This record gives sequence, structure tokens and C-alpha cells, in this order.
Amino acid sequence: MADFDLVDTEVTHESATDLLESIDADSPERDHVQTIQAVRLQAGQPDSELRSLKQLDVESVKLLEHQVDAAYRALFEMDGKALLADEVGLGKTIEVGMILKEMHFRETDDSVLILTPAQLAKQWQGELLEKFGLEYVCNYDDEFRGFDQHDHIIASIDTAKSDRHQATVLNRDWDVLVLDEAHYVKNEETDRYDLIDNLSYNYGFFLTATPIQNELTDLYNVVSLLRPGLFGTRDVFHHYFVNSNQETLVNRDELQDRLNKVMIRNRRADTDIDFTNRSIDTRTFDPSSEERELYQAVSDYVRGAYSEDQGQKLVLMLLQKEVVSSPAALKATIEKRLDGQSELTHTDELESILDLIEGIETVTKQENLLSIVEEARDHVEMGRVIVFTQFRATQREILDRLTEEGYTVHSFHGGHSSQEKEQIVENFEEEGGVLVSTDSMSEGRNLQFCNIMVNYDLPWNPMRVEQRIGRIHRIGQKRDVYVFNMALKDTVEEYVLERLYHKIDLFQQSVGELSSILTRLEESGKTFEDEIFERLVNADSEIDLENDFDAMAVDLQEQRELAEKLEEFNSGVFEGFDLGASDD
Amino acid sequence: MTDAAIPITQSAVEQFTERYLTFLGSTIKREGDRWEVTVPGEAETEIPSGQLVLFCGDAAADLGENERQLHPESSFFQEIIDEASERQPTGKITISSKNTQIEIPQWLQENNINVNDATFTPYYDRSAIAIHYRISIETVSEYQTELLRVTAIDIRSMERLPNLEETFLESTLPTEPQIESQPVDVEKSTADELIAQTREQIVERVQPKIDEIHQEASRSADAEIEEYRQMQQQRIEELEEKKTRLSDRIQDLSESIQQSSDEGDRVEALQKRKELNSEYEDVDSELEELHHRREQGFPRKQREIRERHALEVIVSPLTITQIEYERGELVLELEEGTVTRSLTLGYGDGVGITDELDCEFCHQTLGEHNSLRTIQEGLQCSQCYSN
Repeated sequence: MADFDLVDTEVTHESATDLLESIDADSPERDHVQTIQAVRLQAGQPDSELRSLKQLDVESVKLLEHQVDAAYRALFEMDGKALLADEVGLGKTIEVGMILKEMHFRETDDSVLILTPAQLAKQWQGELLEKFGLEYVCNYDDEFRGFDQHDHIIASIDTAKSDRHQATVLNRDWDVLVLDEAHYVKNEETDRYDLIDNLSYNYGFFLTATPIQNELTDLYNVVSLLRPGLFGTRDVFHHYFVNSNQETLVNRDELQDRLNKVMIRNRRADTDIDFTNRSIDTRTFDPSSEERELYQAVSDYVRGAYSEDQGQKLVLMLLQKEVVSSPAALKATIEKRLDGQSELTHTDELESILDLIEGIETVTKQENLLSIVEEARDHVEMGRVIVFTQFRATQREILDRLTEEGYTVHSFHGGHSSQEKEQIVENFEEEGGVLVSTDSMSEGRNLQFCNIMVNYDLPWNPMRVEQRIGRIHRIGQKRDVYVFNMALKDTVEEYVLERLYHKIDLFQQSVGELSSILTRLEESGKTFEDEIFERLVNADSEIDLENDFDAMAVDLQEQRELAEKLEEFNSGVFEGFDLGASDD
Repeated sequence: MTDAAIPITQSAVEQFTERYLTFLGSTIKREGDRWEVTVPGEAETEIPSGQLVLFCGDAAADLGENERQLHPESSFFQEIIDEASERQPTGKITISSKNTQIEIPQWLQENNINVNDATFTPYYDRSAIAIHYRISIETVSEYQTELLRVTAIDIRSMERLPNLEETFLESTLPTEPQIESQPVDVEKSTADELIAQTREQIVERVQPKIDEIHQEASRSADAEIEEYRQMQQQRIEELEEKKTRLSDRIQDLSESIQQSSDEGDRVEALQKRKELNSEYEDVDSELEELHHRREQGFPRKQREIRERHALEVIVSPLTITQIEYERGELVLELEEGTVTRSLTLGYGDGVGITDELDCEFCHQTLGEHNSLRTIQEGLQCSQCYSN
């Protein structure tokens, strides 16, 4: 390869006439040394820095050294085309956030397209807004009007490649393309690969923790999309870097040199990330007979209604979630349903559900919450506890009950202005007590001063659960973190908790680890919530249902093991590679 | 080889700007990061005369009229260095023993020998020429690379003076006290000759970098040629399929012509067959041509791709500096244990030792890889000492 010589080199010596002319014009008043310095400064690299960093709200995002370094290198040393391949959980999204913030500051981001797996699109949108103040429209937003109608777009890669949108996506010259989970384009014979190959963009940032999925060609494909020609042809790459007998890498130094031009891989061991322990306490409670009856009635209604009309999926899913959160949450939705539609076929059923709600005097979860909060009051500084629920009605009930019992309470939900939200968090820190929050608590809020959290009800999206935990279990948390999960026995919550979340060890996974499991699952085209709901409504018997959930758990477990294996495999391949900052 | 470029740090930016503005006759009132500059009306510059406020760093977001930012990437700084770089590309400076430290050669520093005294006695003045060259390397698949290198040669002996290059670069940093310059007194023809003499040599010195980029360009060209080959292969397959389809249809039409009793149908079929036959011939000739080109390896396309990926190296002389320096003798008083010796060597200011010194035992030359080991029984090098 050292003698690889396909092109000519032509050396031209520029005329020195003008320079020589200046000998005659040389005058003693003028300063030659100054000109020398100017010439030398012109040739120097600007001591570039991430100028936008100063604008970031330190409360919203805590940047780590390896992240700043990666953003810097991607922008200034790799000329804005980089494969960010940190190990899982080191914050690749933050790195891209910083890059985009900087480009925004330098006004080089007129049009930006971020392509992600469908499940992660909204999360990207939230993080960019909360942590970096960058507003992006997502293809799942109501106001999304097409790829030629917005300048900053986050979309699922499959939406972008769909027949409906592809032409518009390809018809545009994008300033920046961000591709999350870049191993999606490892195979050159797929539509996804073609889409990226045909996209026109000036700067590209591809993210993956596992650039190699099956074979080393994956790495070739992903890198060649970003920097065509860096590895030459596929044949040359194979011939020169891959020992075909063992599928291992050879000529590693040369490969590292080339990869260093385009790829950044931080390893967990090399960073200063250090998390405290996380301890999980899942408590399941026997529902009262009234609660049990209510649960059964709602489940029957949901199953029946869904079999008749699958278009109502979202609202039925909501009812199934509310019934285990609180009767109050359920009540509001049922009433709205009764009031809102004149042609309802299940009016009687709904009215009897309302009666059952009225019949509940004691809410089991509420009673048990008191004992958890009481324990905290005895053991934790200022008794600070955060209680999360998905529903406003449940939140109101909890707040009323805790106030009655004499606790200091704080309420946090999406209806507050950002100033109010800030004040609430401040009060919680100063006064202690219990903060009852909906999931609208933004990730950027700094709540490390609290280390106890209660999941009063459980989102069916594992990412949501991890985001809740992430509010307190984050870099900067100095104490161990305690997470209490509350669930009613024999309900969907128990299934989700026991059969799914514990099986994948959800409560100990980082967002990055989870996303690699979930995006693998997504290849099947369904979301986690859909999977749960389908099982719930389609099971013919209790045993069926248990079996179905077990089967889903096995799938998840497999995905998890696969994700782990891949991560290990990639670590192995890149072991001994120093892909950190180059020395020159 | 030393890179002549200066990293554009904030402090370099501020130092240079301050010096340049002062040189133009401006006054600067500094209040922290805020500079109030008054540029005189008669100053020979593109910077508008009058009041100007500079903000160091990027603290100020909204700038008013006559307010500018000053940082490595600011447009104001770019304007200043663009102007200054063309102001006086030729000049003469002097390096004298008064402002340089005596350089003890490296081969005398890696041993137990003390240098008790070093005295330089200049005997005569010499002139050298230092030329800054910009070497720009360009190819389609890589970002343009620009290198700045300096070469210094003695005007009389034409020998290259690497140490003087270092001294020159060192002493013209913005952080060093400013050296005064005067007009050059070499003839234009001499300067021209020196450029002719040095420009090939400067290319040789950056050859490793050129080779590296050349390799990358070759790889990119290869990948593109391969891509083209695959595309043509695909096209051949498509055409072959099309040819088979056409041939089948022609065959079908021929049969229907044979069998048809209706004249109108037959005429229509005959016309259609004629059309298809002509299409078939077009496809066939395109295929034939493609096959032919494939066998030959697509020479025209290959040439076109290779030419497009070719490297263009442009060497431009940017500044000429005449450097006056002194040559003479350096007397070194050496001591090792109880033994002392005096050593006299040819020396130049900024140039360093100009003589080669041989080991008195094995007669090998002392240098970077062969230091002086002992003076006990004469000057002995480390190589023969260890043997």
C-alpha cells in the first residue's frame, strides 16, 4: 500500500516577481518583522475554541471533559465529519448537542437534519431543547409539515426514506446531517444506506457505540459514507486490513491512523464518570376487593372496546394505565368519554365503572406511599423525596393526602412557567419534604440534592423510567440513590415490573444501554408500549397473559445479551487502539 | 522540520494587534478586555481612522458602530494580518552576539564534562537569506493543506543553515522583543538566484506530507474507479436483460406476423418489429461498446478520474529576509574531574558551531548520535569509548 500510486503530482513554482519588486520599494519606515509575523499568523491554525460553551446553562447540562474534547475534535480537527463511537453511556448525544450549539453560534447551521431510530426522536428533541436551547421540529409533531418546510428537523430514518418523503429529503442541500445509531446503515444493500449515500450535506456526525455489528465491512461501510475514499475500495480494505482466515484486523497501526481522521471513541475506563450505587426497592401491594373489581371491569371494557375498534388504541391504553395509577385519574377520562361522545356503545359499562370508582374509599397505593415517605423523613436530610406519577389527577390526590398528613409538599407539572418551575425546585431544596411531579420534569433540572425517588405508577416505556431516575442519579450525585417502585398485585403493572423491567435489569441500566436494547427491538417495527398493550388485550386467559409477558421478556433478554455481546466485541476489536486526541 | 506557522492564540492576537496598531500611530486605552483605539487620519491603512472600540474575546454579542471583536477568528484580526502580511515582505535584520546566547552543541551536553567558560570572538560579518515559502497541496478528495516553511542559506557559501532557521523563527515570534529591520541590500538578481536555488529543496523537505496526501488521493481515485466499474457492470447486466426481453418480443412478433391473416394487424406488427429491431440494435451496440470498454479497463474514464484526483502543489515565496550575522571563533573551557581542556571551534551567531569536530581516537565526527564522551586522554567519542 506504500506504493499505491494512481495519480500524478504537479509542482508549480509561483513567480517571485512581485516579491522581488518589493526589494526596490523597501523603505526604512516600514516594519518587515511585522510582515513576517503576519505571514506566520496567517498560516497558523486559529486556536479554536467552543465559543458557545459560555452560553450554556450550567444548571441544565454538566459537560464532561471527554465530551468537550470530542466535540472540539469533531469540529476543528476532523473538519466537521466525524464518527462518534464512544462506548455506551458516555453521552454521545451531549457531544452532538455541543457541536450543534457551536454551529448555531457560528451561524453554520441553516439546515440541519437529525436522523434517529423512531423511538429516540422525541428524546433527542427534548434533550436538545432542555440542555442546549436548540429548537427542532420532530416528524411526530403536529406542526411538522414536511422536510422542505423546516430548517431544523429530527426525524426517524425510516420516515425520511419512505416513498412519501424521500424525494424532498434528497432534494435539499443540508448543512448538517446527524445520524444516530449509525450502524443502521452498515449494509450497503439497504434503502437506509442508499438514503445516506445520496443525501447531500456539508457536515456529518454519525453516532454509534458499535460501529461493527457483524463483520469488519460494517466499519468500512459506515466510514466510507462519511469520508468516501478514506479506506479506498472495499477490496483494498479487505486485502490490507482484514485477515480473511480469522476475520481479525491486521496492519492495525495504519488502520488506527486512518480511523483517527474520522472516528472518536472514548472508553468508560478513561473517563472520570463515577456513579454512586442505585438501590431498587419494588413493593407490590394487594389491592382491596373494590380496587380489584375496578381493575377487572376496566380491563374487560378495554379488551372489548379494542376488539371492536382498534382506532381507539391510545385512549384505551390510557385507561389501562390510569386504573393502576389512581381512581381519580381514571374518573376524569371516563367522564370525558361519556360526555364527549353521543354514540358510545358501552355507556352502561362506563357508568358502572364510574360507580365502582365512587365505591373506593381507601386507595391502597396512597396508604403505602405514606409509609415510604415516613421512612424517608426519619432517615434522609430534610425528608426530601420525589414522587413521580404520569397523571395530574393522581398528583392532586397525592398532594392533598400528604398535606392532610402534615407533610411539606411541592407540586411540579407541565402547566407552570419556567420561572415557576425554577422556584418550585428551589423551594424543595430549601424546605425539604415531598415533591410530587409529573413526567414533565425536564431532564435538565438539577435535583442531585435529593436521593430518594418513588415511582407511584410506572410508564410502559422503559426509557421514561430511566429518565425519571436520571433526574437524581446523575453525575454530581454524591449519595447512593434509592428508587421505590409501587405496584398493585395481579395488574399490568406487576407484569411490566416483574416480568419485563426486572428481567432486563432496567433499573440498573443507563439510557445509552437501554437505547441499544430498544432500538434492536424496534427493528420489529413496534414500540414497547404497543407490545405491552397488544399482549394485554389479546391474551385469552391469565396463564396466556403470563406466558406472553414471559415470551416478551425472553426476547428482551436476548436483545440485551446481543447488545452486550456487540459492545464487548467492539471493545475487543478496538482494544489497544488509541482513538483519543492525537499527539500532533 | 520546523513549522513556521504561529498558532493563533488569543494572546498572540492581542500582542500582534497592539503592536500593529501602535506602529500605525494609533493610541490604545485599555480597560480590561475593552480597548479604545484612536487611529490617526494620516495612517496608511484600510482601518478607518478615528475612534474604534475592540472587545477581546467574544464577550460582546451585539456590536455597535465602530465596535469590533478581537479574537483568533474575528474578521478584524483577519483584516489586520492580511494588511500587515503585504506591507513589507522584504527586509534586513541583524543577529548579533549581544542579543543571542551562546549555543553549546548537543554533542557536548550528554556527558560528565563541564563547560566552564564559552567565549565567542566575532571576526567577520556574514549575510544569509531566509525565505518563507507557502506550500499548498490540493486534490479534490482532501481538504487543501497549506504549509509554511522557512529556509536560510549563507549568501556567499550557499550552504543551508538549519540552526539559523530556528533562531530566525524564534526571534521573530510576537512574544519576543521586536527586532528592528532595514531595507535589504542584496541585488534583486541575487535574491532571484537564491529563490531558484532553494525552492526545489523546500519541496523535498515537505515530501513526506505530499506523499501522505498522494496516497490518500490515490485511494480515493481507486474507490471512484471501482465504483464506476460497478456501475458499468450494472448497466451491462441491465442491457443484457433488456436485450433478452427485446429479442423475445421480436420473436413473438415474428410468429404473430407469420400466423396473422389480417393485413392491418400484420402491418402494425411489422412496424412494431421494425421499431423493436432498431431498439435491439441500439442496445446491442451500446452493450458491445461497454464490453469493449470493460475489456480495456475503461481507460478514458480512468484517466479522467486520475486527472481529477491529481495533486497540485504550489510553492510560493512570501518573504525574503536578509540576516546579518557574525562569524568567528568560540573558545570552550572544558573540565572533567581533574582534567581541563580548551577547545576552539568555528562559530556563527544564531548559526551555532560551523566546524565539524572529529574524535581524536577513531576520527568519527561528533554529532547528534555520537556525543563527546570524555576528555581524559584526548577528545573521545561515545561510540569508540563504549567499544
